[in-house]
Amino acid sequence: MNIVVLAKQVPDPEALIEISRTGEKLDIEQKFTTSLFDEFALEEALRVRERLGGKIKVITLGTGRAVEVLRTAIAMGVDEVLLLEHEAFLNGDGYATALALSRAIVKEACDMVLCGKQAVDDDRGEVGPMVAQFLGMPHVGSIVKLDIADNKAVAESLGDEGRMVVEVPLPAVFTAHKGLNEPRVPLVTGVMKAMRAQIPRATPEDLGLKPGEIGLAGSKVRIRRYLAPKKRSQVRLIDGDAQAAAIEAVRILMDVERVI
Amino acid sequence: MEAVLIFVETKGDEIKKASLEVLSEGTRLAQTGRFAIEAALLGPAAPDIVRTIASYADAVVHIVDPLLDTYTPEGYALALADYARTRSPRIILAGATQMARDFLPRAAVLLACGIASDVTAARWLEDPITVVKPVYGGKVLTEVSCDGSPFIVLTRPNTFDITSPAQKTGEVVERRADLPAGSVKKRLLKKEEKPKGKVELAEADAIVSGGRGLKAAENFAILEELAGVIGGAVGATRSVVDAKWRDQGDQVGKSGKTVSPKLYIAAGISGAIHHIMGMDTSKTILAINKDPNALIFNYATYGIVGDLFEVIPAMTAELKKRLGASREASGR
Repeated sequence: MNIVVLAKQVPDPEALIEISRTGEKLDIEQKFTTSLFDEFALEEALRVRERLGGKIKVITLGTGRAVEVLRTAIAMGVDEVLLLEHEAFLNGDGYATALALSRAIVKEACDMVLCGKQAVDDDRGEVGPMVAQFLGMPHVGSIVKLDIADNKAVAESLGDEGRMVVEVPLPAVFTAHKGLNEPRVPLVTGVMKAMRAQIPRATPEDLGLKPGEIGLAGSKVRIRRYLAPKKRSQVRLIDGDAQAAAIEAVRILMDVERVI
Repeated sequence: MEAVLIFVETKGDEIKKASLEVLSEGTRLAQTGRFAIEAALLGPAAPDIVRTIASYADAVVHIVDPLLDTYTPEGYALALADYARTRSPRIILAGATQMARDFLPRAAVLLACGIASDVTAARWLEDPITVVKPVYGGKVLTEVSCDGSPFIVLTRPNTFDITSPAQKTGEVVERRADLPAGSVKKRLLKKEEKPKGKVELAEADAIVSGGRGLKAAENFAILEELAGVIGGAVGATRSVVDAKWRDQGDQVGKSGKTVSPKLYIAAGISGAIHHIMGMDTSKTILAINKDPNALIFNYATYGIVGDLFEVIPAMTAELKKRLGASREASGR
């Protein structure tokens, strides 16, 4: 079983983010972590390999701290990694990012692709389905259970209306949701190995991509400005004992806010 | 005039609320005189539903194919993209439901066009069209624009008000998708059926959520009762889901669902940032917590410092009294 995992290093959810005065860029505190849902994807890949054997390759795109997700993956026990590292890859939308990632996947040598249902920085949730489309593979989104047998997968996915169980032939793309598994904590020996590991890199040229097709230049949508969300005014506390406060709360919600 | 293609999603014999919202926004767009609204419905649908949709739109296309009888992202993306190519719309609009977010990114690849998922505001008349999309769990908003056509825009449920139909009688055209054999490989084995009348979390107008303060799984019954009285849904925090008190599908927050109801009642929730990220765009937030220093009060519109086991049942009783009275008065 040849498994590809797409993963991303993102700012820690607790990291402070400041918007520049002109709204052109963000100043993000240098605290990073593996995107939450990608951890479930990595763990599931390891579990599939434990059951069925095979090889796991993890691919990410970015510069600087981006490589850390690959070291985390090595520490967890994956076989190969690849870093798409070039100025031209950066600041892409879902489309440009998915195009680059899909080109880095050798379709003939891939039985399944796993990734998180969305990266918790851009919160787009587009790349998984887009990679599937670029590769001409089916996909199952937001999975919470995965069974592989006879070159087929039975996956349970979480929809708005509840759970769905679908069967899909491999190769296929799966996007991981919380509930799929409990990601392992890497062993110290794994961490040591990861620190020493050489990280293979690929440029757009290596993937047969022109700079105009990827990153910001290849994007179909553009971020024009960053804005701060509207701040809520200070909380209004409703006084009185439980009974009185409850009656007053109902009055406010029905007569003032009119939300009931 | 530019064309707007609205994807309409159904649930059983009803139009999904998120779709009614974008259809309503469509009628407002039509009133500007700059856009013609066409609604697209995929797969089997009752005639009643098609008629309702036609009252919102200038035209309705009902796309059918044996491969669209059950939902697959592959089939839906192909059918919608094929049709969009024949119409060259400026905008493809849909509610950001799980289904739309699942298949429309594939359609964007097929059409080599831009997409913005989970949008919370839109300026349709600007050139280029600009939408607002939260990132970093809502800590930052981005203004996103798209020069090319079509621009696929998925709006977060509860972004637009639902209006009554524009009394249009849009022309309904049935169209066969003629999807190539083998283009859909997936097979639905089982679909969980939610009890009828149960409100979906993502599109609920009111949500009553519980945290660790509920103390035990069975205590969620008091939240269920309150939610039942106001026609809302019950949500939960991550720790409650991890403790298996509630199902994963009920989780609100960064690793669960993002919701934006008119009313969000947070009972016994401390207010960890992970939870706030999933509900911060709610219109009115009422927090009930014993701890006056709980972080949740920093994000709430109204707060009650008190015991939820006293406050919630008292609210339920008061609501029953008042709602019961108003129902009688209006003869319903």
